[in-house]
Amino acid sequence: MNGPIRRLAIGMFGAMGALLLAVTWFQVVRADDLKTDPLNPRPALTERGKERGLIVTIDGTIVARSVEDAGSRDYIREYPEGEAFAHAVGYSSFLVGDSALEAAYSSQLRSRRDLTISDIVAVILGRDLRPENLEITIDTGLQLAAFEALGDNKGAVVALDPRTGAVLAAVSTPSFDPNLLLGDDAAQQWETLLIDQSRPLIDRGTLEIYAPGSSFKTVVTATAIDTGTAGPGTTFDDPNEFDLPGSTATISNFGGQRCNDGVSVSLLEAFVRSCNTVFADLSIQLGAIDIAITAEALGFNTEIAYEWSIPQAIWPTDNLVGDDAALAQSGIGERDVRATPLHMAMVAAAVANNGVVTNPYMVQRIFDAEGQTVETTEVTRLGRAMAPETASVLAQMMERVVTEGTGRRAAVPGVRVAGKTGTATGHGDFSNPWFIGFAPVESPTIAVAVFIEGSPSSGESATGGSLAAPIASKLIKIWIASQS
Amino acid sequence: MTRNTEAALIVAASFLAAFGVTLVNFARGGSVDVQTSLTFLVFLITFGGLQVAVRTWAPRATPLLLAPIVALTAIGFLEVYRLDVVRAGLQRWWLLIGAGLAAMVLALLSKPGTSVLRRYRNLILVISIALLLIPNLSSDWVFPLKGLEVNGSRLWVVLDLGFTQMQFQPAELAKLGLVIFVAAYLADHQRALREAHRQVGPLRFPEPRQLIPLLAAWGVSVVILVWQRDLGASLLLFAGFVLLLYAATGTTGYLAVGGLLALLGGVASFLMFDHVQRRVVAWIAPFENYQDEGFQIAQGLFALGSGSLAGAGPGLGRPDLIPNASTDFIFAAVGEELGFAGSVAVIALFALVISVGLGIAFRSRDTFRKLLAAGLTFIFGIQVFLIIGGILRILPLTGITLPFMSYGGSALVGNLILIALLLRISHEEAL
Repeated sequence: MNGPIRRLAIGMFGAMGALLLAVTWFQVVRADDLKTDPLNPRPALTERGKERGLIVTIDGTIVARSVEDAGSRDYIREYPEGEAFAHAVGYSSFLVGDSALEAAYSSQLRSRRDLTISDIVAVILGRDLRPENLEITIDTGLQLAAFEALGDNKGAVVALDPRTGAVLAAVSTPSFDPNLLLGDDAAQQWETLLIDQSRPLIDRGTLEIYAPGSSFKTVVTATAIDTGTAGPGTTFDDPNEFDLPGSTATISNFGGQRCNDGVSVSLLEAFVRSCNTVFADLSIQLGAIDIAITAEALGFNTEIAYEWSIPQAIWPTDNLVGDDAALAQSGIGERDVRATPLHMAMVAAAVANNGVVTNPYMVQRIFDAEGQTVETTEVTRLGRAMAPETASVLAQMMERVVTEGTGRRAAVPGVRVAGKTGTATGHGDFSNPWFIGFAPVESPTIAVAVFIEGSPSSGESATGGSLAAPIASKLIKIWIASQS
Repeated sequence: MTRNTEAALIVAASFLAAFGVTLVNFARGGSVDVQTSLTFLVFLITFGGLQVAVRTWAPRATPLLLAPIVALTAIGFLEVYRLDVVRAGLQRWWLLIGAGLAAMVLALLSKPGTSVLRRYRNLILVISIALLLIPNLSSDWVFPLKGLEVNGSRLWVVLDLGFTQMQFQPAELAKLGLVIFVAAYLADHQRALREAHRQVGPLRFPEPRQLIPLLAAWGVSVVILVWQRDLGASLLLFAGFVLLLYAATGTTGYLAVGGLLALLGGVASFLMFDHVQRRVVAWIAPFENYQDEGFQIAQGLFALGSGSLAGAGPGLGRPDLIPNASTDFIFAAVGEELGFAGSVAVIALFALVISVGLGIAFRSRDTFRKLLAAGLTFIFGIQVFLIIGGILRILPLTGITLPFMSYGGSALVGNLILIALLLRISHEEAL
């Protein structure tokens, strides 16, 4: 009888072996396919309904919160400030994923009640399971004002505290309502935003690089003063056109006119009127490498640590050495020079901060459910980009831009504002207006970059002075008023 | 391994159950609570008590059987707790009741031995068939014992005592009784059955009069179960019987005829019952019929795939999405939350139990005890294969629970008694 039992035992172990093979097939070989199968509701459900932490501005305005649904006991994410904060705060959607702060701080914002061994260790160590919360440096009033001031324009505003690098406002337009990406129709809503020609999902303030145009003249001027090559009083020739060396092309001033009297012009006058001919000449005198030293000290060609990964600002040194024509064009912020609006705000902030560059940041501190601080962001100085004297002279020159030059519309009554306009080459017939600046000059508390992406709504004649400077003026006015 | 090592393993596995419950609590934002201590206590009393009974009434029984059973029960319990706290509470009561009854079986058999079961095989058969039939009692008469229809199947009896109700599936106990009867009958007629006289084609069979009583008893049972639409149990009983017949006689023909009959029965029930058709459709194309028949199987596979290697962690997956997760699909719930590691552990533990059970049969000198141990292990193993294989799409799903892991009091009681019988047989062989 043991014979048949032995054979049946072999059969039974064969059956158990078949179970092992089958379970290996489904849990190892095909696990990823099953996990990500569109019919599998799990990936969406694990994200959905869980509590996430608050995101609060420095003035106490809640910009992201989770509200518990009385019926299902699920948490629903809400963005009470909607569009104005969409690119800074981002969204956490169970269908289309996370973005901006919601993505960058997802591990702090998530509830610790859902993960594995590390969370259990945290519990054993007596740590709180509830999600942590973010306090961000954004000033709600300034942020909403910037969003309103940009209006129907495509563009971005980034305002920094020049002393610390704290982001006071970060707006990109056109925007979208992140609340639309939370519901069951999130995928459709996202699809609609994705194919929108105006690209509302893109954060123009931190994730796109543009030619900075004449706003880059601040960098060239700082190089000139720092190296002793030229000062505000140094005079240059004043031609109608500047002939690019080794080329038949020329650089002309805005409107094709001469800068001053057609004979000579001082650097100060050229800066205030934003004369391209003088800066083309000056850039060649300085050389690509000297400009690179200042530019790189200001964070060009460098990875800047921000809340999320941002593209590097570009000063293409290697391509400009020995190519004076390209160098002349680059010296006025054209050709292949690129920067994010955030980065140009850093440049203005460095001038305002006596030449010291600070690392921009948006999260002030992380605090737990009891309100106890878990982590505070330390102010990080990236180094000195120019001598304090250079910064002081450049600041005075920038103030003249606002009092009597291209940036007059950035003026705020009773406040000393410094700035520099730019009108960079954009798409097609449209140019991209810029304004970078800071205030008050005697003791700066805000540095700002305004960028407009030229489009039919901004018009063909839009310049940094006409379109971007008034926006900066509004913001500085609101900021100074709120500070006193 | 000694009894003391076994005791240590029982404590360890009880701790495993309590630890699992606590992890589920953590996942819900809770902490160590009364559920933790209650679970630990109930496991300790259930299996510690059972071991005391073994020490008292079957001291020479193998020490290899209880420990894997406690581990399986612990893993199953943590998933039942995770899916339904109320059911977990009931399951704890059933553990205590089951252990009590299993200890009683050990106590009752301690004097007369298992041979008493052989002697009273016909009585056991009558009781078993009666047990199978009581769910067909009226649901609304005055007597406290009533039948109950659930999901179109008539498998339940309700003991309505006025102040409380107890529900029970008598088929779980009848199964054991039928195995005892078949083992005893085969032991009694072994020689006659082995001397095959009738030639049917290439196969040789014994005189029909030797087989008829057996076939009748077993046929009646299977027909009752089919009538009650408990197709899983009828398949289990059918397969267990065929394997036992083969073990007793060594005639391969029984396996061939049994396989053929099973196939015919499958085709017949496919044609007769639309819920069998639905199960076959779900088996062949679960994802194509996701909104309908295939939903449960597809969810089970998603659960297994999402669990992947290490699992989501107790309380952190979504096995609650699988219909009937705490009964039919407990294996998928384990696979999702404890991962491939947990699935393999469960299959390995079942394989261990089966090998210990067959080892007992193997070493038995007495024919009846040999056949009884083999038969009990067969129905245990077939049950494991049918339900896990159904979840893993090896064969169509049959509504059968996973021994010691699924929620269900009757099954737990039946399986604990099954283990008690195996322990008793191994004790008697060691004398």
